[in-house]
Amino acid sequence: MRLVETGNHAAAHAVRLARVEVVSAYPITPQTQVVEEISRFIDEEGYDCEYIPVESEHSAMAAMIAAAAAGVRAFSATSSHGLAYMYELLHWAAGIRLPMVMANVNRALGPGWNIWCDHQDAMSARDTGWIQLYCSTHQEILDTVIQAYRISEDPSVFLPVMVCYDAFTMSHTYMQVDIPEQETVDRFLPPFRTSWRLDPRFPLTHGSVIYPQDYEETRYSIYQAHRAAREVIRRTAEEYRDIVGNYHGDLVETYFMEDAEHAVVAVGTLALEARVAAEELRGAGYPCGVVRIRSYRPFPFEELRELLGGMRTVVVLDRAVSFGLGGILASEVKAVLGGEGPRPVSLIAGLGGRDVPYTLIAERTEAAIRGELSGEEWPTLALNERHLVSLRGLKALWGGERA
Amino acid sequence: MVELRFHGLGGQGAVTLSYLLAKAGDRMGRYVQAFPFFGAERRGAPVKSYLRMDERPIYLRSQIYRPDFVVVMNLGLTEAAISEGTKEDTVLIFNATAEEEARLTHLDFPAYRVDATSIALELGMEVEGMPLVNVPFLGAVAHVTGLVNMEAIAEVLRETYPPDRAELSLEAARRGFTSVVKFQEAKEKGQKAASGR
Repeated sequence: MRLVETGNHAAAHAVRLARVEVVSAYPITPQTQVVEEISRFIDEEGYDCEYIPVESEHSAMAAMIAAAAAGVRAFSATSSHGLAYMYELLHWAAGIRLPMVMANVNRALGPGWNIWCDHQDAMSARDTGWIQLYCSTHQEILDTVIQAYRISEDPSVFLPVMVCYDAFTMSHTYMQVDIPEQETVDRFLPPFRTSWRLDPRFPLTHGSVIYPQDYEETRYSIYQAHRAAREVIRRTAEEYRDIVGNYHGDLVETYFMEDAEHAVVAVGTLALEARVAAEELRGAGYPCGVVRIRSYRPFPFEELRELLGGMRTVVVLDRAVSFGLGGILASEVKAVLGGEGPRPVSLIAGLGGRDVPYTLIAERTEAAIRGELSGEEWPTLALNERHLVSLRGLKALWGGERA
Repeated sequence: MVELRFHGLGGQGAVTLSYLLAKAGDRMGRYVQAFPFFGAERRGAPVKSYLRMDERPIYLRSQIYRPDFVVVMNLGLTEAAISEGTKEDTVLIFNATAEEEARLTHLDFPAYRVDATSIALELGMEVEGMPLVNVPFLGAVAHVTGLVNMEAIAEVLRETYPPDRAELSLEAARRGFTSVVKFQEAKEKGQKAASGR
């Protein structure tokens, strides 16, 4: 069945098809449509699922943890401040190795209050132990939420998975999406089977006090699970293609990289916009390709090293920033290349939903290719009088030199 | 690829218009993308929405700065709509009466008008005093762009709304389709230069 739907509704269909049994969520723009649609499926279309309307995101994650610990397939969706409010429990879910899937619709963090697209929310939760997968099309949202349960519930992984996609450009945009049949998805995704569960008949505790002689070992096991997840993500994408029919790459997806000499690296819809830019650049005689990072954690360091090591130019697009360092993705790509190959050019752009058209990506990439741009640039930044007035005000307040 | 931008006031249905046209485009076998600019979804405030259709999959996710068609659902938005970006041959479609044409002839674009407000009011299609001008525009845009036909629009309306409302909407769309008229041709290049564009 093909629908013209929002990215949010595509996620909701995936939850229904994955036969999720518990959904707990608190509404936040731009995610709200996901859980609204799930609740409509339950109310009007006979979808058998326990929907827990909690009073906060902290509680949403607590209920997810409880459900997963009881051996039940659980889902939530959030964005931005909602994700920030869950932060403590994100560690908890990953730390006690609970399979579950959450959609995070990437949105900027306040202040100033901003509901638009930005990757700072999920990238700030980078080191919680969650697997993070980033989508770029509506079809990929649906397919990745279903795949995420297979990855999360794989015995060699047993980690929560966050499925990320861009606010508005994906969440609220209507595009075509193919909804697979339930029986097809059932053939791909078996019921959730866990090796342990909370059961009042057999009381046990899990995740309580742990002394230094054991703590480090639990962290190492998470580290190892992320290593194992790399192969599981690849295998899951292939099996999904064989059974359901769609494929969006494994840890990365590449466009025009076969004969490329210059590469743009990005996540989410910026990578699609870069794909159009690469076509433009090819028309102008520059053999340019795009590497879209689909699995941000685990990070595709082997793939990136192989794809980028021989490039003449590497441009990394970031929609988030590590204050005091630079573009988050750019720093990681640099770390992966370890000084070999080209020195990546970092473009930090599109924060808080600012539009990043392909024309700008093409123009700045061409500048990098021609050696006119190196290091780092904020190409969409447009400081004006209004932006500078507060800085001057501070200087006046503190007396010139001291500011 | 064909790109359209819609300018309306909150409550006129600019967002629904782009969505329904996308669904009709899907039925015509095209790849479609419809999206609003979010932020000012208040009744009466300016609202923008966008629509792309193509024979190939659509990879662009940015906003539309050089649209093939611009739909202006309220004449008060004319200047804002044009300042958002156009091409030399962008076609404008206005919600305007024959008398209001005179207010628009200074514009250097090929232009159409449809009296969507009157069509909506004649058929009693209003919500809280705001005429639903988006429905006549379904037909007007279909006629001017040729991207979708009335059969596809009828199917979409019948699938989306209960029977009474679907048939009423279809009538409004038909009236929009038949009554939209071109009132200005593309001006000659020389004329454009002379007018300072």
